[in-house]
Amino acid sequence: MDTLLEIRNLHARIGEKEILKGIDLTVGRGEIHAVMGPNGAGKSTLNAVLTGRPDYEVTEGTVLYDGKDLLAMSPEERSCAGLFLSFQYPVEIPGVTITAFMKAAIQARRKAQGLEEMKTADFLKLLKQKMAFVQMKPEFSKREVNVGFSGGEKKRNEIFQMAMLDPVLSILDETDSGLDVDALKIVADGVKALHTPEKSAIIITHYQKLLEYVAPDVVHVLKDGRIVRTGGRELIDAIEKDGFDQF
Amino acid sequence: MGYGNYKDPFGGSPLGKASYVVQAGEKLELSFVVLPGESRDIEVSVDLVGEGAEAVLRGLYLCSGDEQVTFRILMHHRASHCCSRQLFNGLAGGRSRVSFDGRIIVAPDAQKTEAYQENHNIVLSDEAHVDTRPQLEIYADDVKCSHGATIGRLDEDAQFYMRSRGIPEAEAKVLQMLSFLSPVTPEEKRKQVERAVLLLV
Repeated sequence: MDTLLEIRNLHARIGEKEILKGIDLTVGRGEIHAVMGPNGAGKSTLNAVLTGRPDYEVTEGTVLYDGKDLLAMSPEERSCAGLFLSFQYPVEIPGVTITAFMKAAIQARRKAQGLEEMKTADFLKLLKQKMAFVQMKPEFSKREVNVGFSGGEKKRNEIFQMAMLDPVLSILDETDSGLDVDALKIVADGVKALHTPEKSAIIITHYQKLLEYVAPDVVHVLKDGRIVRTGGRELIDAIEKDGFDQF
Repeated sequence: MGYGNYKDPFGGSPLGKASYVVQAGEKLELSFVVLPGESRDIEVSVDLVGEGAEAVLRGLYLCSGDEQVTFRILMHHRASHCCSRQLFNGLAGGRSRVSFDGRIIVAPDAQKTEAYQENHNIVLSDEAHVDTRPQLEIYADDVKCSHGATIGRLDEDAQFYMRSRGIPEAEAKVLQMLSFLSPVTPEEKRKQVERAVLLLV
């Protein structure tokens, strides 16, 4: 199997508090993984470390992405290398339209890949096509990023960006939003529609709801900063039945 | 993006003081663009004396060094059905000092007044200093008035969001600054503002 992401003995802390206490996790190309765990298990921290949030400190361990040292890369380098994070709470960027935002992102990516700038006409065509693909109304292209968006619109915008950027590894942080079923469905449909044998995804979630829509190949249980169990979909049922205390 | 009708009554000179009387049905438009390296001390007083008089004041400032930028604005609504809008947005970096003193007075006879004033600041360095004092004195009872002033920093969550989509940190900051300045950027100064912002990052 072709390995895309390899996390070895990952320790991380925020301030003085150690939250990840030795994570081991390997994601193969083409696989969809789920990371489930109770509140406080370290799900958000794992996601933050993988995407390069500045306030978390990695104290031990390695993360190889496509053979490269992921932790040495800036958030923008990670993105240009094909990593995508779907935010649990997408951020508002007042004054910046979705079109301007995506144009900057696409051009930055092309620059990083040594390609010349995409022509405006080609960019607008791509934008239109991907908006239609995620069933986003065309007028959203002129709206300021996430400003005044409903929860569902924000999620759709995340999946739209995922479609635009065409990532190799998507990390979907849905830790708390398990109760908003409509928003989850948008995410799940997007993940399924965009999935190909070359692409992988990690779904980080507290609830099993999302996993009813998109079936993971591998399920990990994260508890107290460690992966305590790895298995197949039967783990989802076990968690549904008896919760996280059994692990 | 941007607006037309750029009109700085002082032609960019460091010291400027002027009074305006706006008659019924007239509209006064003033705008200021203060680029890095420029210190300005601007004092403007506007009297809206005729029914339906209007005033629109816009200001943008970009400070990166030792500049001192001062605005003292007095907007006096003396007649009914007048409308005034003021929007001043600026970035303060380096060891610059910015002071905004804005006063709106609505006279007892100035019913149906609409008066708005906003001053928003983004501080880019620990040594920069911004003072903003919006004041509103209303003596009429049937009016729509608001004022708002903010002093903040570039939103780091928004920056991270952009970076996580592949946009380099410096470019993310430029996007944030330009969007913040966009409502107060006159079309004819846009290129200059863009160049100045690039140098601030």
